[in-house]
Amino acid sequence: MTDVRTPQSPADTAPGGPAGESPAASAGWLRWAWRQLTSMRTALVLLFLLALGAIPGSLLPQQGTDPGSVDQYYVSHPDLAPWINRLGLFNVFAAPWFAAIYLLLFASLVGCVVPRTFRLVGSARTPPPRAPRNLARLPHSSSYSSALPPAAAVDNAAAVLGGQRFRLRRPAADEPGYWVSAEKGYLRECGNLLFHLSLLGVLLSIAAGGLFGYKADKLLVEGQTFANTVSALNEFHPGRLVSGDSLAPFTLTLNKFTASYVESGESAGQPSNFNANVTYAASSGATPRSYNIRINDPLAVDSLKVYLIGHGYAPEFKVTEANGTVAYEEATPFIPANTSSLLSDGVVKAPDASLGFEGVFVPTAIEVEGTLESIFPAANNPAVSLIGYSGNLGMNSGVSDQTVYQLDTNGLTEISGSPHLLSPGQSWKLPGDKGSIEFVGVKQWVSLAITYDPGQVPALVCGILALAGLLLSFFVRRRRVFVRAVPAASGTGSVVTVGGLTRSDASGGFEEEFADLAAQIAETEPDPGQPQEPIKPEPDHTPEPGSHSEPGA
Amino acid sequence: MSVNAGFATASTDFLIAALLIYSLAVLAFAGDYAFGRPHRKETAKPAVPAVAQLATVGAGAAGAGSAAALAESGPVESGPADAGPAEPAPPASSGGGTGLAPARRVGAFRAIWAAGPWIRAAVGLSGLGILAHFVAIVCRGIAVDRAPWGDMYEFVTALTCVAAIFFGYIVVRYRAWALGVFVMGAVVVALGLAETLIYTAAGPLVPALQSYWLSIHVTAMTLSTGIFFVAAVLGILYLVSERYRKRVAAGKIQSGNGLIDRIPSAAQLDKLTYRTVVFGFPIWTFGVIAGAIWADQAWGRYWGWDPVETWAFITWVIYAAYLHARATAGWRGARAHYIQLLAFATLMVNIFVIQIFITGMHSYAGVN
Repeated sequence: MTDVRTPQSPADTAPGGPAGESPAASAGWLRWAWRQLTSMRTALVLLFLLALGAIPGSLLPQQGTDPGSVDQYYVSHPDLAPWINRLGLFNVFAAPWFAAIYLLLFASLVGCVVPRTFRLVGSARTPPPRAPRNLARLPHSSSYSSALPPAAAVDNAAAVLGGQRFRLRRPAADEPGYWVSAEKGYLRECGNLLFHLSLLGVLLSIAAGGLFGYKADKLLVEGQTFANTVSALNEFHPGRLVSGDSLAPFTLTLNKFTASYVESGESAGQPSNFNANVTYAASSGATPRSYNIRINDPLAVDSLKVYLIGHGYAPEFKVTEANGTVAYEEATPFIPANTSSLLSDGVVKAPDASLGFEGVFVPTAIEVEGTLESIFPAANNPAVSLIGYSGNLGMNSGVSDQTVYQLDTNGLTEISGSPHLLSPGQSWKLPGDKGSIEFVGVKQWVSLAITYDPGQVPALVCGILALAGLLLSFFVRRRRVFVRAVPAASGTGSVVTVGGLTRSDASGGFEEEFADLAAQIAETEPDPGQPQEPIKPEPDHTPEPGSHSEPGA
Repeated sequence: MSVNAGFATASTDFLIAALLIYSLAVLAFAGDYAFGRPHRKETAKPAVPAVAQLATVGAGAAGAGSAAALAESGPVESGPADAGPAEPAPPASSGGGTGLAPARRVGAFRAIWAAGPWIRAAVGLSGLGILAHFVAIVCRGIAVDRAPWGDMYEFVTALTCVAAIFFGYIVVRYRAWALGVFVMGAVVVALGLAETLIYTAAGPLVPALQSYWLSIHVTAMTLSTGIFFVAAVLGILYLVSERYRKRVAAGKIQSGNGLIDRIPSAAQLDKLTYRTVVFGFPIWTFGVIAGAIWADQAWGRYWGWDPVETWAFITWVIYAAYLHARATAGWRGARAHYIQLLAFATLMVNIFVIQIFITGMHSYAGVN
């Protein structure tokens, strides 16, 4: 058929340009390369490469989502890890080779879609083709005898088709014969183009989000307040065009965090609800408001959103030196080592008292064969087990790269009596007159993600448009119906033949539509006394609708 | 938040009943192959060569006669009372496509009745099984007071129900009960495995799943997976049928394989598979978009290349490749079907490997 065709006819594949003429030859090669890129075959290969390339991203730990596991991978596979890193497999979705695949794919898509758009515009301007001579040769056809003369029969048929918003074409004044051509379903190709262009829109939206958005993490203990500045955040991942001082100026206080768990039964200990009650102000002068951030229910402050993404316990400790000076008094976030029992690890550092502690916190303590275990994630019977160290913690030297969650015990002396178990309110008086540590009580912390993504709404809009385009291209069919009448052999009346074909009938159903149409056309017969021939839809003999590019680029 | 034990037990019982009834239905479908009336080959033979048909139609006056001839040359399923054209006879030899003319709906039940006692029993049992299956899912939903597809076991239970219902639709619309033993057989296997290997007691959901998006996102994923499941079975049948057709054409074997002659022709299967994928693909796309919206609410980003997201993307890309391959010279036919099966394989990998063995944000399978 005519207009829609993938650019891959044999002539297209030969590099053009006469040999010897260098500029023409290189232009020919360019044209050849472009045609190769925009061919369906290349698009298919690129689609497969895209799928294949995504696999390592799901099997290997990824820098973007789980940097800790990447470090762990380096430790467990010291020989392999550097190679994996060199291939970009720890960061597949930001790797240049992955970008190359999808950019080529989109180039191929554009190269296919743009010419098709022009062709669609062109075909929308040209009327349907003339009716073929022998309509019975079409995939669908039927005929009936009419009492009307040929011209009137065709007029009636044209009225039926026109009433159903087909585009019509009648013979020109100088053309012989009685016929009408009708065509419908241009929306199919529109949908196809809309789908592909929307995918491009999704890509651009993601890119916009990556350039202008940011994502930050903040760990906040109950009672603490923070202001949205780079220095206050634990982690800050700005987009390429985001500067640190352009963050939205809001403040937020965590009043209380509540976690509930299934108390009994097979799924005992499974969390059933999390709720972080916060007070926030959109800017320094704004009225403070209260909000309950839950999972699936983030807080929206202007254009940013604050999500609850993690939680844990922060036991409060008070370290007192021998002379009575309080060297440390803080709720100290411990990191869950076991996500279901919430047994957590943490450290307490009191450099002024030259004391450091490694601790294990258990929310519901039970002793199993001499080791401390947690049997339930709620703080029903909290306890900490501490190993004490004395010596220079080295925090003032400025060369330490240890985090607040790690204690470098090199050069420190373990305090005898370790590990020491404490319940809330209990103190451990350290031997050798080194002072004491008190386990004051338990608070909880939450980890909040603060995101700003200007590409989000455009991406959603493009996604919905893509879906709409997909539906149009699948469920609208482009079809042509022709009606031709010839004078009957008997001399009065005529024989009317209706023929139809569809280029692509992805969801099926043209058979019925054609039968309906043919029946409606036959019903325009004025004389009911005349026995009408039954309308017989023929089985579809179309050789593969796929011979024309069906779903797209 | 508590679980209603009575409904939970009822759900399990109904599911076992459904499994038993389905198994009987598969036996009945198989029984039709073994003992049913042979009904395709003899009637297909007189299928008028295309040229002859055109000649009759061209004559115009003989319209009524040719219509009657076609109805007679149709399969026996369309009883003599069925004046309208039923499923067209499979093409005698031509490799060119033949239409899957959907049968008139009113005639479907009469046609099933006419297809013989085995098919009657098989279709009836399948319907009964679907009913029990559906009741089981509803009971599970009442027991846990939420959409009953929150863990892997529930998901497989629901998707097999979708596959069975979709098969029922194909039977009514295309009269394709000859595929019953394959589609329902696969449903029985999948459901049986779910019942034995990944059974999970009814329980409440973790907070991340407590969202109305569960009903939207997971429902779309379940629906499309069930539909792709049917497409995969059809694809395998196509490959078998096409290979047989080629071997017959090459003279390597005699035609007349009782099994192959009863299922729709390769060309019909090809079309039916395509239409099935076309039906499932937008639902999958919608499911991915709904998942992205939900991910944005729950996790603070709409797309984060979580392993399950990545594999959903891979599946989408490969189904897209299938749709394109079908429109590309040199890729049609068997090659396109291999792509389609590969896409379904990635879907299975996602459900049974990635969700269970790879830790990610979608690790809710509840399978230990």
